[in-house]
Amino acid sequence: MYKLVQNELLKIFKRSGTYVMIGLLILIVTVVGAFVKYQESGGTVPDNSEWKQGLQLENTNLEKQVAELEGQVPDSQITYYKRQIAINEYRIEHGLSPNSAYSVWEFVSDNVSIIELAGMFTIIIAAGIVASEFNWGTIKLLLIRPVSRSRILVAKYLTVLIFALIVVALCFSYSTVLGFILFGGPENASPYLNYHQGTVTEQSMFMHLLSSYGLNSVNMLMLATMAFMISAVFRSSSLAIGISLFLMFTGAQLTSLVAMKYDWAKYILFANTDLTQYFEGSPLVEGMTLPFSIIVLVVYFILFQLLAHLVFKKRDVAA
Amino acid sequence: MEAVIEIQNVTKQIKGRKIIDQISFDVNRGEVFGFLGPNGAGKTTTIRMIVGLIGITEGDIKIAGHSIRTDFEKAVSHVGAIVENPEMYKFMSGYDNLLHFARMSANVSKEKIDEVVELVGLTDRIKDKVKTYSLGMRQRLGLAQCLLHDPDVLILDEPTNGLDPAGIREIRDHIRMLARERNMAVIVSSHLLSEMEMMCDRIGIIQQGMLVDVQLVHDFINGAEKVYQFELIEKEKAKELLKHSHPQLSVEITSEGVAVAMTREEIPAIVKIFVSEDISLYGIEEVTKSLEERFLEITKEKEGVAHV
Repeated sequence: MYKLVQNELLKIFKRSGTYVMIGLLILIVTVVGAFVKYQESGGTVPDNSEWKQGLQLENTNLEKQVAELEGQVPDSQITYYKRQIAINEYRIEHGLSPNSAYSVWEFVSDNVSIIELAGMFTIIIAAGIVASEFNWGTIKLLLIRPVSRSRILVAKYLTVLIFALIVVALCFSYSTVLGFILFGGPENASPYLNYHQGTVTEQSMFMHLLSSYGLNSVNMLMLATMAFMISAVFRSSSLAIGISLFLMFTGAQLTSLVAMKYDWAKYILFANTDLTQYFEGSPLVEGMTLPFSIIVLVVYFILFQLLAHLVFKKRDVAA
Repeated sequence: MEAVIEIQNVTKQIKGRKIIDQISFDVNRGEVFGFLGPNGAGKTTTIRMIVGLIGITEGDIKIAGHSIRTDFEKAVSHVGAIVENPEMYKFMSGYDNLLHFARMSANVSKEKIDEVVELVGLTDRIKDKVKTYSLGMRQRLGLAQCLLHDPDVLILDEPTNGLDPAGIREIRDHIRMLARERNMAVIVSSHLLSEMEMMCDRIGIIQQGMLVDVQLVHDFINGAEKVYQFELIEKEKAKELLKHSHPQLSVEITSEGVAVAMTREEIPAIVKIFVSEDISLYGIEEVTKSLEERFLEITKEKEGVAHV
């Protein structure tokens, strides 16, 4: 199995397209960094010793808005206000100034959205890893080795996972390094304040970032698995890329549209891929819990894998 | 003689249509078996079934005693094959391609790769990307890829497709050498008859999914009775004479004289007739039919039977 994965990685990293993808990721993180740095040097951090009063003022404003708008605007906005109020109160109580300088962690945290892009690249790899062998005609030489088809497919899937891990780790570590160079380390390690169902808790910043990157990767992994399945079943990488990217950009919105009317929306894959909803904010459909989402994700995962394996094993390789 | 490949009553059905119908034959060690048939007859389908690329509807195929259906990994570990064009990963070097396939078989050492590269004569270019290779070099790389794991069976689907005469000759020499010196069983498919004639020991003819004939190349070309050509000028007269004296023989007029299908023992009697009738005879020679003529003859015969 190790050798098979080694083979798949060889095939990925011998193609120039892969380096273009990695180059793009690095370029975008760099551009974001340069942009933030440029903005930062424009204004200085407001170092106001009266920050407690400022926060109190903000809170009274927010409370007024909550009272006025409750029932008129979507719940999510009210939740957002409440979260802000709770966090501000926590800061006042524990003497944690919000006026710390923009540091490496803020930068890394801002870059979480780069995972979308890394996910896109992983989808492209997953979509091509089986279908390309058919396009190149190399599938014939690949399948006449003393290795069963299932093992080949498993090796290919593992390779997709490894590739995903590589790009996410690359984004994370490059953002960290670049953040340190551009913005320096945090002066005093300020904790991350998490608001979940009415209570505020302190988290180590590093742990928060790790879990935030990890949770955000769930979406990308499920989509990559789906792309992999389509690739194995339909032997078409463009179809796999097309469907997966379309769902990646619209899946969440479509699901929340459905969720407004129907309760069964909670069984849709995209209602469950965003696990951060259980740690911060509130779930999409009332009554959804973390174990529920995990079960749904596992069911989808097994379904994708089963489909891919059954079809790939039975397929007659002609033409 | 030891059969390494046994094909037993193999049938392939796709959507209710029989593509391959009850084919059976064996291939022995050290033998080059030619698989001959017009396009669309089922050569490639049969070959794909032997290497397990497509499923078998009925019957079984055994390689070195292992069934390709139930014991795929063991069976296929004895096989090296090129199915149609030897498509490789074009963005990788020849060496990386071989390394890739070597990793998929048990115990193929780096030295073995070098040895195979040497054998097919690609040593100078092996580090170059495959996309820079000529068709002949790709074909040779394809051959190298088959030989990595020292297979007992070599299966080559149209190995000389698209090659120039020098390339064809090179591949042919390789194939003969592998069968003779390494005692491999080789299956070669082609619709190029002249080539099969030079390469193969035995030939199986497949037509419309059925194996219509298996013969040794030698017998195949010669057939049971021979044709002799009498070189002479008065062709019409000679033909008339023979019709009277030997009505059972078929006589044909050729550009040189007349061709008669008959046995060797009858030659003196016919010569006597020509001499007594004052026909000048310039020469007598045996005409060997080319494989092509025999092939067309056989396929036509069978087709005739099928249509009646």
